[in-house]
Amino acid sequence: MKLFKVILLIIFFITPLKANTIYNLIKIPNLELYQIDKKNQLRYLYASSSFRLGVKKNIVCMNSTKEDYNKKFDLISYNLNKYSKDFLKKINLRYVVMCENLSISGINTAGIPDNIMKTLILDIKFNEKYFKRTIHHEVFHLINDSFKEIFNEDEWVKFNNKNFKYADCSTCTKKLGLNTYTNTNGFFTEYSQSTPSEDMAETFSHIMTLSPKKLKEINDADNILKNKVEFIKYRLLKIYKDFKFSEEF
Amino acid sequence: MIKKIKATLFEKIIFVFLIILASVTLGSYYIIKNKCLFVKNHNPENINFEKPENIVILNAPCGNVIIELYPNVSPKGVERFKTLIKSGLYDDVAFHRVIKDKLVQAGDLEFGKKNSINYGKIGTGKSGLGTIRSEVDNDFSFTKGSVGLARTFKNDTEDSQFFIILQDEPLFEGEYTPVGKVLYGLEILKKIKYQRHSEYILRPDFINSFRMLN
Repeated sequence: MKLFKVILLIIFFITPLKANTIYNLIKIPNLELYQIDKKNQLRYLYASSSFRLGVKKNIVCMNSTKEDYNKKFDLISYNLNKYSKDFLKKINLRYVVMCENLSISGINTAGIPDNIMKTLILDIKFNEKYFKRTIHHEVFHLINDSFKEIFNEDEWVKFNNKNFKYADCSTCTKKLGLNTYTNTNGFFTEYSQSTPSEDMAETFSHIMTLSPKKLKEINDADNILKNKVEFIKYRLLKIYKDFKFSEEF
Repeated sequence: MIKKIKATLFEKIIFVFLIILASVTLGSYYIIKNKCLFVKNHNPENINFEKPENIVILNAPCGNVIIELYPNVSPKGVERFKTLIKSGLYDDVAFHRVIKDKLVQAGDLEFGKKNSINYGKIGTGKSGLGTIRSEVDNDFSFTKGSVGLARTFKNDTEDSQFFIILQDEPLFEGEYTPVGKVLYGLEILKKIKYQRHSEYILRPDFINSFRMLN
């Protein structure tokens, strides 16, 4: 044990201090700056090597290749540019971390929003088909975390059919499908049926990515979804009156 | 009769060599010991300033650091900074956090004073004036020499601690409240005591004085 302590001390004394600005700001190690967006001031960071986070180090993400970062960056920045600098400030989003194979306690996840550290971690290797929507889905979680009282879940639940019940948590259900339903019946996707907040995030991500024509068609055919879309839109404008929905791009 | 003994040529060479060696040793010791030897000290009286009311002089161990404050960028932050400077509260306060060629931080009025320094708590002290709101909305480039107010992880917790960056830090923009920029004396800040293995400094250097120009 003494020998171990001596070795530790020697390592401490021969290792020079490496100050890391990014780590000091958001407490995620092994990140490098990819780009600062001139328009909305988002700081894009990438993992230069894998990192672990959390008290039990249960959040893990791997580094990716430069080519993959370049490829996904355009798509991510294009979609996040739909949000203005002022709006991003309101929802506390400032840093976007790109990495691959993101997981929490061994469960793969597309993204991890953290409005305290102003950070959104995105798995750039997440299913290509849903990646664009995932970005907005995670942004909604940041919105919801900042304005929980505005997106009241009790009000939301009332939009559904009386016999419908959400699962207790998003990971305690097998309803994980992300395909947009042809016959919506009150939900955009299977995953919408997991919890109210996931349902809201799915609704929001569809508002932000569907064409106005398609969204109108769905609204016209599904009264529950129409109410849900209105709910999200109305409350977003309450938070930020200049918020631009997809049809305005 | 005392017989005179003449020194041989070899003995004379040894004697001269020893004198040279002693001079070099003493000279080197002086140069090594005096970290401020080759640092230029700036006298504010010899400089004309456009806005002298916004000029402050921080006297560090190696000389003067002349800073211009920007009340138009961060009115409340600069107001707090000026209040503390005018009251002389920064005198004898430690540069408690120093990262070589990157950043120096000082201003812990509670635990960083020379005669009552508390190494266990330094960096967490308060001024007693309360915290102020972060001012991060105005455009400001955190280039080398920028002075900002330090805070905890949360916004709106700025108090008396401040930092000066020794390299460009674009990620600080929008994160920290800027209060000014070093006009002269950045090299003086680079001479402030740092440690290779820790950001927090044992037996740190202190601010001699911190004054308004006028």
